Amino acid sequence: MNGHRWVPARAVVVVLVALILQISLVSDLRVAGAVGDVLLVVVVAGGLTGGVDRGATYGFAAGLAYDLVVDSPFGLTALTYALVGYAVGLAGAALLRTSGWWPVLIAALAGMAQATLFTSFGNLIGVAYPFGDVPTIASTMAVWAALLVTPALRVLWWVHGHSEPDRVEVLLR
Amino acid sequence: MALSSPTGSRTRMVVLVMASVTLVVMGLRDVPVVRDVREGAAAVVSPVEGAISAVTSPVRNAWHGITDYDELKDENARLRSELAEVDAASIGQTDAERQLADLSASLDLPYAADVPQVTARVVSGPRSNFSHTLEIDKGSDAGLAEGQPVVTGGGLVGRLSQVTGSTARVELITDPEFRVGVRLADTGDLGTARGQGGDEPLAVDSSMSPQAEVDEGAGVVTSGVDRSAFPPGVPVGTVASTREGSGGLALELVLDPLVDVDQLSYVTVLQWQPG
Repeated sequence: MNGHRWVPARAVVVVLVALILQISLVSDLRVAGAVGDVLLVVVVAGGLTGGVDRGATYGFAAGLAYDLVVDSPFGLTALTYALVGYAVGLAGAALLRTSGWWPVLIAALAGMAQATLFTSFGNLIGVAYPFGDVPTIASTMAVWAALLVTPALRVLWWVHGHSEPDRVEVLLR
Repeated sequence: MALSSPTGSRTRMVVLVMASVTLVVMGLRDVPVVRDVREGAAAVVSPVEGAISAVTSPVRNAWHGITDYDELKDENARLRSELAEVDAASIGQTDAERQLADLSASLDLPYAADVPQVTARVVSGPRSNFSHTLEIDKGSDAGLAEGQPVVTGGGLVGRLSQVTGSTARVELITDPEFRVGVRLADTGDLGTARGQGGDEPLAVDSSMSPQAEVDEGAGVVTSGVDRSAFPPGVPVGTVASTREGSGGLALELVLDPLVDVDQLSYVTVLQWQPG
């Protein structure tokens, strides 16, 4: 299909737009010192619409882009996003048909998982991120992810095509 | 969805994890190519970020109006009380007036007067939940270099961790990786202050006995000992409490920083040369 030629370009555009949105707007919208994560929502949508491969690939690419512009240890966001994207792909493949609320729940859990993984791995490599901040960060990320996952799914359909309408449309009913 | 074999997916995941771990190791070892790529990305992203930030500022203002409501209410009550005490007729401060006050304070430092200074505007705050940095609008073109201390009239803010031609990144004193040699202003006892992230106070590992008594509210300044990265006498914070340090051999101080790093408009970079 001719449309496939544009998939990589569209995917790059989506990740870059999410990155700019994250650092120029969302990172300033703090609640109790924590912010949402638009890039993670893109990763979650990737995993839900494309399974483990797409989830992990979006996770690595989006994490790498984020790592370039923040001061946290380089590669750590790529690692945690890739793991979360893979897990979302697994969960999505197993649960998608059961209920329209699964994507929202999965997105919320993904937000919590990423915050916990990042803090844990950070401490493993010697960066003393306080575990006491995890509940606030995780819950904030979970709420943002749950709110944004539905529009993010539509964006990912635009990028990759709506290849399994019978399966994915169930999500939004 | 394009389906791939479970083995292929696992292989891809293993490759991505290994690539990520390799990047983490390269980053921790401060490999020059990683540093160069990050500096290049910062140089590209900063102007775009600035432009988008200007466009989206009404959204941010509306958000802060909603989320800071309780804080604003408390502050308003406190201000009303203070106004009654001093019987002053005052008017509400505008954002421009606040920024002017910040700028004036930055230009008139009560310390480090003999160190060349560059005043810069804060362009953006921390970019993620795990980031403790600010971006400022001056860089190497203005004579800034990595490691230089960043202050306001109130005290220490942090140090430059990354510098491009026209921008620089400030590692804040709240960053868990931040360390600075300090001394108690009244007794001269030495220690090392470190950030603990977010809104947490600073911790000071001192060489004092766990039984030593330190007054709450005692001032703490940079020690400026030989070859220190910071000039001596820059105010850092005040002692909030004390506790036994890990191992029980020394006293640990809990320090409230003097500067609220979330409320900065302008900062001053000290072109300090250690040693």
